[in-house]
Amino acid sequence: MRYCLSLILLFLMLVLWAGPEVCPAAGPAADGTVSSAPAAAAVEETKQDAFEEEYTEDEDDADDPFADKPVTIADPIEPFNRAMHTVNDKMYFWLLKPVARGYKVVVPEPARLSVKNFFFHLHYPTRLVSCLLQTDFAGAATETGRFFINTVWGIGGLLDPAGGGELLLKKQDTDLGQTLGVYGVGHGFYIVWPFFGPSSPRDSADILGNQALYPLSFLNIWYVSIITKSVETVNKTSLRLGDYEAVVEASIDPYIAIRNGYIQYRMKEVEERRARSLCFRKMDRDAPRPEAAQPEE
Amino acid sequence: MQKHFIAGGLLIFLMLAAPAWAGAPTAAVENTVTRVLDVLKDPKLKGPQAKEAKTQKLRVIYKDMFDEMEFSRRTLTRNWNKFTPDQRREFVDLFEQVMEKTYLDRILEYSNEKVVFYKETMVGNDKAEVQSKIVTSSKEVPIYYRMILKSGKWKVYDVVVENVSLVQNYRTQFSEILASGTPEELLETLRKKVKTH
Repeated sequence: MRYCLSLILLFLMLVLWAGPEVCPAAGPAADGTVSSAPAAAAVEETKQDAFEEEYTEDEDDADDPFADKPVTIADPIEPFNRAMHTVNDKMYFWLLKPVARGYKVVVPEPARLSVKNFFFHLHYPTRLVSCLLQTDFAGAATETGRFFINTVWGIGGLLDPAGGGELLLKKQDTDLGQTLGVYGVGHGFYIVWPFFGPSSPRDSADILGNQALYPLSFLNIWYVSIITKSVETVNKTSLRLGDYEAVVEASIDPYIAIRNGYIQYRMKEVEERRARSLCFRKMDRDAPRPEAAQPEE
Repeated sequence: MQKHFIAGGLLIFLMLAAPAWAGAPTAAVENTVTRVLDVLKDPKLKGPQAKEAKTQKLRVIYKDMFDEMEFSRRTLTRNWNKFTPDQRREFVDLFEQVMEKTYLDRILEYSNEKVVFYKETMVGNDKAEVQSKIVTSSKEVPIYYRMILKSGKWKVYDVVVENVSLVQNYRTQFSEILASGTPEELLETLRKKVKTH
């Protein structure tokens, strides 16, 4: 009797599990053209209905399991920011882009990648301090390993042997703004700096800290700073030509598009850093949704 | 004996159930991206005289891949109700053209690079996120496709480029414009945008 029951159960389960999976897979292939006309008509009909249908969700992305919580940022000095946005935009198109294009023609890509590596290498102190402050000790060790290997075998940081091959020490591209973010400090409000671009009081701390921890600042010669910064910027731009144009081209209001892109991008970075932090990772595990990791609201 | 029977049965279900849907969303995106790249690389479609034919081909693929209605409703959210059905129709059409241009421009730039699909996450039976990245000599650009299953087809309803969700990004732009302007004004802006393409 029990044997019989388990047989029936087995049969039922087979039908229930496999049935709906197998059918749609077989369906379209078997029908081919026969059913496509009425199917298309049905799709057209539901489309028509969709135009009439009102939007009823109370919350944005209520039915989107992947969406992050919408991020917003206060913008009390919008007129100033918009003016700075225009200044930076003009500076890009009139100065930076032509220079970077010329530079790109003259300097081959491998050399430009080496220059990029070199400047990245120089910012090691910032990354080390950030990792330590974030209690990401694995990250700090990785960075230190990278620094020594790339200094010795990477010809002073021009090459990145530590990042490839069997070593695979991944870059810890972190900064002090992220560190404050990991601590739960919010953005505050939106600022667009001339030259530096989108920022906030929190991320501005990064501009200052970066200056303090940058080895070349210790030379304390103003033109050295300006020249190296210019080379770094032109080199970086030459590797990303077209990206900024694409953003502007795609947006309806570029100012808002960049502002939102900036906070979405930063929020994700802070979230990722927080997940690596020895202290905060534990805290977040106890409290399922960390309010502090949300930069704004 | 019975225990073995049930265990064996369970094993059979698992084997039957798994391959039926695993990887369907990834296969859908991968297929379309390959088709886009094929069109872009096609030597017959190079040059200015073939531009129209190329655009036409890309449009068909794009429409097949993206769900323009989902995109529009998700970006407008409650503002959708401020539009009349006719305005909605025009909005969906214009916004689709903007999105198509944006997406194809991005892909076009990387037409000689490698695209890697490496992760797929399913939630429920009808939502999935497919993670891909474009690998170039100087950088990696992560692109995630969020997809929904509609009448047997996986369609994209949001694209996340370098951690920036396009739906969320356009939503803030539209809501800011609609906070002080009318739907007609937004449509006018979009009309101009599409014309300058």
